[in-house]
Amino acid sequence: MLAAQNVVKTFATEAGNAPALHGVSLTIEAGDFACIVGRSGSGKSTLLNILSSLLTPDSGDVAYQGRSLAALSERERNRLRATDFSMVFQMHHLLPYLTALENVLTPFLSGLKPVSGNQKRKARQCLERVGLSDKADRLPGRLSGGEQQRVAIARALVTEPRIIFADEPTGSLDGETGLHIMRILKELNAEGITVAMVTHEPDYAAMAGRIVEIRDGCILPAS
Amino acid sequence: MNILTIPLRNLRRKLARTVLMLVVFSIGVASVTALLELSKAVGESLESKLAAYGANILVSPKTETLSVGYGGMALGDVSVDIKYLKEDETLAAIRGIHHKDRLSAVAPKFVVVTRVAQTPVGVVGVDHEQERLIKSYWHASAGSMPRGGTDVLAGSDAAARLGLAPGASVAIEGRDFVVAGVLAPTGSEDDKLLFADLHALQRAAGKENLVHFVEVAALCAGCPIDEITAQMAAGLPGTDIKAMQQVVRSRMMTVDFVKQMAFAVSGVILLTACVMIGLSVFSSVNERKNEIGLLRALGYSKASVFFLMHLEALVLGLASAVAGSLAGYGASFKLMALLDLGPAAAPVFDPAQFGLVALAVVCLSSLASLPPALLAARVEPSQALVML
Repeated sequence: MLAAQNVVKTFATEAGNAPALHGVSLTIEAGDFACIVGRSGSGKSTLLNILSSLLTPDSGDVAYQGRSLAALSERERNRLRATDFSMVFQMHHLLPYLTALENVLTPFLSGLKPVSGNQKRKARQCLERVGLSDKADRLPGRLSGGEQQRVAIARALVTEPRIIFADEPTGSLDGETGLHIMRILKELNAEGITVAMVTHEPDYAAMAGRIVEIRDGCILPAS
Repeated sequence: MNILTIPLRNLRRKLARTVLMLVVFSIGVASVTALLELSKAVGESLESKLAAYGANILVSPKTETLSVGYGGMALGDVSVDIKYLKEDETLAAIRGIHHKDRLSAVAPKFVVVTRVAQTPVGVVGVDHEQERLIKSYWHASAGSMPRGGTDVLAGSDAAARLGLAPGASVAIEGRDFVVAGVLAPTGSEDDKLLFADLHALQRAAGKENLVHFVEVAALCAGCPIDEITAQMAAGLPGTDIKAMQQVVRSRMMTVDFVKQMAFAVSGVILLTACVMIGLSVFSSVNERKNEIGLLRALGYSKASVFFLMHLEALVLGLASAVAGSLAGYGASFKLMALLDLGPAAAPVFDPAQFGLVALAVVCLSSLASLPPALLAARVEPSQALVML
């Protein structure tokens, strides 16, 4: 489904060039729950961003369903992010001035056409799915960290994506809440959504179907 | 809910900042509106006031001149006939032109040369009421301004030369006149002359209804002086109509200077307000980088992001344009009262001007927010999202 070939990425810093990825190759099949683990600075988030089209590699290629992401136009890339790909970040990134329901609807607010009744229904279903149907009208400031992350997951679900990219989704949550989030991701994966996740927590990584270990910008062979 | 939701909610979220920006920009627009109204009124009022310092058109009969020379000596041009203008017909023709509302004074003159105590002196018969409109600087340094038909006003030099003081009797063309007052020195030809009532002097000279020339003060803002003189010439064939271009030009320079000052100040105010809007949007883009990154990660195009940031400035611009224009219009009444420009200077609400000002302000705020909005559109999601 998603294949990275010899991906290289270097960042320019004040101290000079900082290589992040050294010729990484990785394939994620449809239905996988792949967890990329590694220490801080190992390149795991960089790899996830490249896989999800948020970052462009310096060399190498990423192909989605056989089509190179580099060959996509700006418009096609935006469409991919709005439909097939969804992101869940460590810092949920909810818009503070929109309610939980409105945040879930954010992917549908990019045009002049008003949100349809069908889309609102879908958003409510996604909130119900993550157990927050009673908090649809609350602003993010009145939700706990775990609830905010669940709203972010509902937002990721509303476009019915094929792949959810989750970058440290439990990073700022306590153990119990983090576990809850992981269970939701597992359920979604069981329903057919491919999940590519990044974490530095081995306990959460163990809940994934497949672990990819990365160190110093290189993927370690599977043990 | 649609794309408009995000910028409008953000404006509401930062209500204090939104209101402050609105107030500041509205004050800028109000100042510009008030200045524009003021410059219009001041232009007209100023020109009227300047007209009180002299005429700018001279109407005189066409004269034939003869160049005289003898024995190789040129003796100069000599008028063949002394011609007169008929007072009633001339004044009626002048006051009947199409642009009659642009005439602030029509002052006929009848001139005689006489001797007072064997000393020759020029005496000008004037309509004192009209004369005061173009010579508002006249005031009596001794005695008072003329009241009756036999009163005479003496120029300062003439009074000194002829030994005239208020109350003195002067015989002009066989009739007795009384010196009512002595003019304060003006530095002009007036200092050397005596001024009598026009009709009294005409009767004394046996030249009723005849004048030598007419001075006219015309207001030139709104139509060129050439039009006014052409209209007069059409109604008065056989006369010479001269526009004193120097006078016209210097007055219009003063009026234009006031208007240009108003425009320049307005421009500075608007520019400052636009810079503020631009800076506010810049700061908003910086603060909301994460938000922009998120929206791009959710599939928002660069155009959508640009529109979101731009719309906030447009909303502020439109609200300020309406509020500021109305406030400026209201303030201009107070300003004109303070400046005592007279009832004729009252501002008039012009819907077309209101619309143009509103459109200009919206365009300016849109332009001001273009650079930061373009910057926002160029933000890549991976650069913007913290902890990525």
